[in-house]
Amino acid sequence: MKTRYALFFLPLALFAQDKPAQDAKPAAPPTEATAAAPAAEAPSPVPSSEKWVTGYLEMGYRSQTGIGGSESTYRSIVNLGEGLKLSGTDFTILDPKKRLFERLRIRAYDWGGDPWSTFHIFAEKRGIYKFLGDFRNLTYFNNLTSYADPTLARGIVLNQQSFDTRRRAGSYSLELFNGRLFSPYIMYDRDSSKGRGISVFRTDGNEFPIPELSRDATDLYRAGVHISTRRYHVTLEQGASIFRNDLSTNVTSGGPGNNLNPVLGQQITLSTLQRSTGVRGNGGFSRITGTATPFTWLDIYGHYMYANPHNEVNFQQLATGSFVVLSQALFYTTGQSILTATANLPHKSANFGWDLHPTRRLRATQSWNTDKLNSHASSSSLERLALAATSTLINGNSLLTTNENRLETNVFVEGPRSVTFRAGHRVVWGEAEGLILPAAGLPGAQFSSLRRQVGLGGVTWRPGNRWSVAADAEVGKGGGAWFRTSLYDYQKVRATGNVKLTSTLRLSLDYRTLHNDNPYSGASYRFDLHQEAASINWMPKGDKLDLQASYEHCSYNSSIAYLQPQILVSTLSNYREYCHTISGLVSGNLRSPVKGQSIKVMAGGSAVLTAGSRPTTYYQPTVRVNAPLTKSFGLFAEWRYYGLGESFYLYEAFRTHILTTGVRFTR
Amino acid sequence: MLSTKTMARNAVPALAAFLLLTTAPYLSYGAAQEAAPEKGAPPKAASKKRIEGTAPKQFGEEYVGSQTCQTCHEDIYNNYRKSAHTFVETDKRGGWAEHGCESCHGPGATHAGSADAKEIRNPAKLKPAETDKVCLGCHLNTAKHSARISSGHAKSAVACTTCHSMHAKGPAGLVQRAPADVNAQCSSCHLSQKAQFAKPSHHKVPENSMTCVDCHNPHGSVRPSMIQSFASNDVGCIKCHGDKRGPFTFEHAPMRQEGCGACHESHGSANPRMLNRAEVRQTCLECHSNIPGVSPQKGGVVPPAFHDLRSPRYANCTVCHQKIHGSYTDRNLLR
Repeated sequence: MKTRYALFFLPLALFAQDKPAQDAKPAAPPTEATAAAPAAEAPSPVPSSEKWVTGYLEMGYRSQTGIGGSESTYRSIVNLGEGLKLSGTDFTILDPKKRLFERLRIRAYDWGGDPWSTFHIFAEKRGIYKFLGDFRNLTYFNNLTSYADPTLARGIVLNQQSFDTRRRAGSYSLELFNGRLFSPYIMYDRDSSKGRGISVFRTDGNEFPIPELSRDATDLYRAGVHISTRRYHVTLEQGASIFRNDLSTNVTSGGPGNNLNPVLGQQITLSTLQRSTGVRGNGGFSRITGTATPFTWLDIYGHYMYANPHNEVNFQQLATGSFVVLSQALFYTTGQSILTATANLPHKSANFGWDLHPTRRLRATQSWNTDKLNSHASSSSLERLALAATSTLINGNSLLTTNENRLETNVFVEGPRSVTFRAGHRVVWGEAEGLILPAAGLPGAQFSSLRRQVGLGGVTWRPGNRWSVAADAEVGKGGGAWFRTSLYDYQKVRATGNVKLTSTLRLSLDYRTLHNDNPYSGASYRFDLHQEAASINWMPKGDKLDLQASYEHCSYNSSIAYLQPQILVSTLSNYREYCHTISGLVSGNLRSPVKGQSIKVMAGGSAVLTAGSRPTTYYQPTVRVNAPLTKSFGLFAEWRYYGLGESFYLYEAFRTHILTTGVRFTR
Repeated sequence: MLSTKTMARNAVPALAAFLLLTTAPYLSYGAAQEAAPEKGAPPKAASKKRIEGTAPKQFGEEYVGSQTCQTCHEDIYNNYRKSAHTFVETDKRGGWAEHGCESCHGPGATHAGSADAKEIRNPAKLKPAETDKVCLGCHLNTAKHSARISSGHAKSAVACTTCHSMHAKGPAGLVQRAPADVNAQCSSCHLSQKAQFAKPSHHKVPENSMTCVDCHNPHGSVRPSMIQSFASNDVGCIKCHGDKRGPFTFEHAPMRQEGCGACHESHGSANPRMLNRAEVRQTCLECHSNIPGVSPQKGGVVPPAFHDLRSPRYANCTVCHQKIHGSYTDRNLLR
């Protein structure tokens, strides 16, 4: 808590500081700052009359009218709460004397218990160092009530796969001698999560929702060096990761479970459950990246990447109650499971390409990518059933290997009047194998192959700054795919246009379509996607009035044959979505009593209306007013509304009004 | 192993590339003849060469130095001196010391004499390929641009100046950095993606806790859709979803072969959990349903479902198959 308040007031303290001495003397000549610097140093790029710190800080109090409808869905989608908030701060500090840094930039948004809080720092002293830090504190709450909730008929709205966790992700890098021939760097990333959720204990004949505590963390260490000259560049990087994941459950009463009906004449119940999973892992990875320009007409590049993460697993479970093994009609009261496993995932990737530009009007590129991974694991598990007096020891192996390759060639020809044509070809091929032993009644091994030939084409027309048109098309012919819903025989088109209709009005258009077809008998997979979008930006009075509006229409149509599991009859799974998305923002500046300042009013938001398999409406209007009281201090007020409507799943709908008022400091 | 037929098929583009590479020196001979050497310019000859050929000769051949530019373009000059490019003005190794403006705009003497905008090169108004050539004269062989050639932006002739503004941003840098500005810039072209983020279930991009460049590298990536990489060659999603990285004792193959996009709409969806189908069971059954007649070699094969979906107990697959991204302990992804 103290840290939270400290974070609030740290930026305030920075803003409250006096300017440095040389900036505090307006009468001082502009050269004073540079005169103090060593004679060998270049003149300061920052005139002393410039502000040494610029930016803003905004904080306020957020209140809410209460949530109408499903609070669980609201928290799963929006999750904004009440209270004191640091809405955002973003400031840049320039040090004219370049003592510790030339430029320091700090940004922080949405602190004070918000579900997504970010902090970013960047500091640089050119030729000496560059430091980048990024930290995010995210709430992952997911308790979307489910149409298939087995307990819904009993009035229990409970999603049996839900989470309430907090994820913290940090990424920090320090590069030395940036821009020089040799530039070493070190990086550290940490991604961790801690929280609780609802999981399921499944046994033959019944399932029991159970609480579960979870915690995971990944630490990533990297070090490398960039070697750069005008003609070539090489990056060498070596890294290591450390991973851990713990899941634990301790239940003293499992309740009736999802199945209230007796199984083979006996009710299946759970009395106690203790379950813990511990995963510890590590791994190394290497990366070599190179680019070169051996001739003025040729650029080449290549990457080689290798990673080999490794995990060790320990799992224990002890359950008491009334259970059954359906296949043997065997009843038992206590079941114990123990499993240990190791898993490795050596993963190699490489690519190589070149860009040939022999004349001003002709350019050819080719790239080849390969990706090979080999996930293999071995496990030993022991299942012991008391009363039934049986125990089973299973030593198993599992394997998943994939080998995917992609080769693409493109030729660009620049025609007259700023038209560029592109034509190309891509071939994708690969093999995959999955294997789990012992087979246990299911197919033990699975194989699939990937074969795809793709023709590429495109045209770009950019006659000037006023407008541009671009279109790309892909036509693919499959000979094998990883899965039934993968791309197979497909056509993909994208066209965009940008036109400046007048000096104050700009129009953008975007059109996409994808048609995918799996012709193999039985599967009959068809997928059609169309997206059309238009956007305008109108600034009729310069900065005083700005209007942005966009509209998108989309249509998804998918159908695929599948076997209804209970009756083994082939039927079609159809998915339809037709959406209309409208978003807009009008912002205007009104006259303010404070000289040189204006009152800013912004109004806009977005509305989504979908029809088809899951008709949904989602509205997010917002209005905001910034009113300056002095040159560097002002007030703001913001209203937002969130409203979700569902036609089929009425109990998932919610609506709420959110009002935030606060102060804004600007420099 | 590839069959002979496949190898023969793949050999066609490879052969074409070989032919292009081997004939290129002859083609480039003509281009080299076009670029006549410039005379009497103060910057190093090597530095000049980086941008030669990008400016028609009517712009002149004499350099005047940045101080001369400042006389008329003081605001632009001041912004430039506050930008990251300011070091060019003092970097003797680079060869453009005191000629920073002309390192991009080319020789300025003719323009300085006439004050005619048509007599100086403006990279923002050049053809995209020519604009890029100006920028890449210095920035080509760097880590950031190592996959530029295969990027979608390069293929669609999106010039560097589309995103980078050399004069306007001042101390903030040459490109937008604040999340809201980055996202607004990307969405000005990628309108459909912007609309997808307005749907209820989405990554927190409109809230500006994420930016487009968290997942995509605008300069290019070795992955399709310019997706960022994590820990060398894992897909960038793992950076925030570390618990999905594995390796798992029992993998769910689509995670490795098709990536997260096999089941999720990564920008946003009207369906819960950003799924690409309205109901979980639809997402699962479209693959987990072996229909007789489908060739395993060509359409893939997966364990079929056999539960009675009329019962709500089985209608939502992930109620039991909790570890759908891969399990450490159960082959059926139950725990």
